[in-house]
Amino acid sequence: MNRLDRQSFLGPESEHVLRQCTVGLVGLGGGGSHVVQQLAHLGVGGYVLVDPDKIDMTNTNRLVGGTLADAEAETLKVAIAERVIRGVQPDAKVVSVPDTWLAAMGDLKVCDVIVGAVDSYKERDQLERFARRHLIPYLDIGMDVHKLGKNGFLISGQVIMSMPGGPCLRCCGLVTEERLTLEAQAYGAAGGRPQVVWPNGVLASTAVGLLAQIVTPWHPKLLEFVYLEYDGNKGTIKPNARMELLQGKSCPHHPTEEVGDPLVRHSRPSCQTADGSHQQKHGEFSADKWQLFVEKDKK
Amino acid sequence: MRIIFKATAALLNRIRADLGRPHAFAHERVGFIAAGLTAAAGNVLVLAHEYRPVEDRDYLPDRSVGAMMGPEAIRKALQWAMRSRVALFHVHSHGGYGIPWFSGVDLRENAKFVPDFFKVAPQCAHGAIVLTEDAANGQVWLDRRQPCRSIDAFSVTGVPLKKWRTT
Repeated sequence: MNRLDRQSFLGPESEHVLRQCTVGLVGLGGGGSHVVQQLAHLGVGGYVLVDPDKIDMTNTNRLVGGTLADAEAETLKVAIAERVIRGVQPDAKVVSVPDTWLAAMGDLKVCDVIVGAVDSYKERDQLERFARRHLIPYLDIGMDVHKLGKNGFLISGQVIMSMPGGPCLRCCGLVTEERLTLEAQAYGAAGGRPQVVWPNGVLASTAVGLLAQIVTPWHPKLLEFVYLEYDGNKGTIKPNARMELLQGKSCPHHPTEEVGDPLVRHSRPSCQTADGSHQQKHGEFSADKWQLFVEKDKK
Repeated sequence: MRIIFKATAALLNRIRADLGRPHAFAHERVGFIAAGLTAAAGNVLVLAHEYRPVEDRDYLPDRSVGAMMGPEAIRKALQWAMRSRVALFHVHSHGGYGIPWFSGVDLRENAKFVPDFFKVAPQCAHGAIVLTEDAANGQVWLDRRQPCRSIDAFSVTGVPLKKWRTT
């Protein structure tokens, strides 16, 4: 008996495909902790876990896998996530980076999918740009609680599947210059924003479902672009109006030629010598230089 | 160090559709793919982003091969690599299914013209790709003085994702 027998409808090769899949998870708090738990159960074999933070007592209302003992010990969130993974996938390949995602770029570049469960619009924007630059699908989840004056609070959120070339978070109107500016000026509700466990669970489960569709599709009507919005007061998750409008459209914000490392692309070419031969100059990559190039990136 | 070639499914579909068009006298069509490069966890990623077909008038009649590019086709490709500083990959299709490999003629011709791309874009890797309807294979030169090597793995970004190893 195989532990994944009950999900064999995902395809005869699905177990192998999932084991070979590497997912980058940026943000392992309320949303990301749900995602990582589900991916482990699903059978994903590779993880790049990124979060600089340690769990504290205020995280224990929503961080799946985190215990009171972890909060007291100030355990790293990446360590909690890895423990959760190992509980069901002992042989998983896990790279844990207790730092910002900028410190994990080399490992994130080789991920098959990146899931962003981050707080800020700036980070979302940068992470999506990074994913597109390396032709990686990006799944974004986020939730918020808004005060409705005398009418209590509204819980809302979104799940967006952003594929290279297709509509992006800016196309969706989620990332805007106004929001980025407000955030930069710290006008936003930064810091102790209200967060609860169940909306994160809904959004994370939806994102994991989309990831499973990308990796091990079980039906033919697959969408290249998904923008779902969550209304926690009504208990609904439904397509945003822009989802249909933008389906099949290309993105004006991320030119397709913006791929790879600009430092490589814009190095100076070599020069031809008087005898017609080419001399290696700054910018030319010999085989040895390529090796140094990848070794430097590894560090 | 592994070489991984990545492209979107949308780009590969466009390339396959274009290469499948009949030509007035050539038996097959060819083109070029521009790509960016990056190092990643001990690998070199080749990230395809644009395709340009060889124009109809730039083929030479030659019954001994499926398609013979004229000097103008090569000149345009060299110009593209020089101006855009891109990694350039020649591409053609063998049709059918499964992971393909180059014919003897392909290998001979690749070795003749691909290293020339280093004259205009020496900071990049260059190579050649052969497609089927559902897979691809390729050669890459990291240095014009060194022999080429096979691309180790391919990854196609789309829904669904596809990836395969070739070495």
